Amino acid sequence: MDPDSVSKAFVEHYYSTFDSNRAGLANLYQDGSMLTFEGQKILGSTNIVAKLTGLPFHQCQHQISTVDCQPSGPAGGMVVFVSGNLQLAGEQHVLKFSQMFHLMPTPQGSFYVLNDIFRLNYA
Amino acid sequence: MALPNQQTVDYPSFKLVIVGDGGTGKTTFVKRHLTGEFEKKYEPTIGVEVHPLDFFTNCGKIRFYCWDTAGQEKFGGLRDGYYIHGQCAIIMFDVTARLTYKNVPTWHRDLCRVCENIPIVLCGNKVDVKNRQVKAKQVTFHRKKNLQYYEISAKSNYNFEKPFLYLARKLSGDPNLHFVESPALAPPEVQIDLVAQQQHEAELAEAVAQPLPDDDDDAFD
Repeated sequence: MDPDSVSKAFVEHYYSTFDSNRAGLANLYQDGSMLTFEGQKILGSTNIVAKLTGLPFHQCQHQISTVDCQPSGPAGGMVVFVSGNLQLAGEQHVLKFSQMFHLMPTPQGSFYVLNDIFRLNYA
Repeated sequence: MALPNQQTVDYPSFKLVIVGDGGTGKTTFVKRHLTGEFEKKYEPTIGVEVHPLDFFTNCGKIRFYCWDTAGQEKFGGLRDGYYIHGQCAIIMFDVTARLTYKNVPTWHRDLCRVCENIPIVLCGNKVDVKNRQVKAKQVTFHRKKNLQYYEISAKSNYNFEKPFLYLARKLSGDPNLHFVESPALAPPEVQIDLVAQQQHEAELAEAVAQPLPDDDDDAFD
C-alpha cells in the first residue's frame, strides 16, 4: 500500500475507534508514545488512554477534512497531519481540530503512534 | 465587546466572559434571556457564541455581550483570545458536582491572568436539585478572592438577575443602581423549593461570620 493510502486507513481507523470505543485506542500506542493534548504532555499508552477516556464527554464524532502524509526517516516512519471537525453530544456547534501523528512500523508489518499532538483550532 | 458582524448600541455595553467546567449550565443560563437568545451570533473562528443581554436600569439601558464557549473547556483551559478585553466575568460551578467547585480556583487564575481587576461573580448553579454535593456554607472561595457569590438555578430562573445587577453596579460605580424592569425570560422548567433555599441562604450568611479555612485554594477535598 502507498503511504497516502496507509495514512488514510490509519486515520479512519483511529477516529472510528475514538468515537465508538476510546479504550480500544490502547493498541495503537506503546510505552514510549507521547501525546500532547491541548498543551498537556502525556507519556505511555496507559496514561494516554486514561486521558482520552477521562475527557468529560461521552459521545463525539470526528469528521475528517484533510489528511496529509510524509515518509519520515530511514526506519519507515510516517508523519500524518489531520484537520477536521468534532461534534460533541449536546453541543450545538462543531469544534475545529488539528492533529499530527508520527507513526512507526511494527515488526508485524503494522504501525503504532510514537508521537501525537492534538489541538482545537479557535480564538 | 460585540462581534464584528453584530449590532453595536449607543448605550453602555460590556464584554462578559462566562467560564467554568463543561456541564455546569453556562449555556443554559445565558439562553434564559430571550432577546439575547434571539440576537445571539456564533463566530466559528473564535469558537464562541455571543449573546447580547440587555437590562433596564434607573440610569438607562445596559448591555452585556456574554461570551459563551462551544464546549472547548471540556478539552482544557481556554485560549487567551477568549478572555481578552473581558470587562466582567461569571465563574460557574454546579452545586451537584463537587469537582466543578474544586476547579473554580483554576478558572479564576486563568481569568485573572488575562483580565486583571475586573468584577467577577461566582455562581453555584442547579440549587433546585435536591441532592447537593456542595453545601452553601462550604463555598468559601469567593471570600478569599473578594468575589460576589450567588446561588442560582438557571432552569427555574432563580436569582437570574442577581449576577448582572452586581456587575452593573460595579461597572457603573453606582452602588444604588437598580433594575426598573425585568427582561423577558424563558418560562421556568423546574420549580425551586424556596423554603429550602432560604435555609441555604441563611447558612451562607452565617458562614460569612466564620473564619476562612486555612488551605489556600481548595475549600475541601
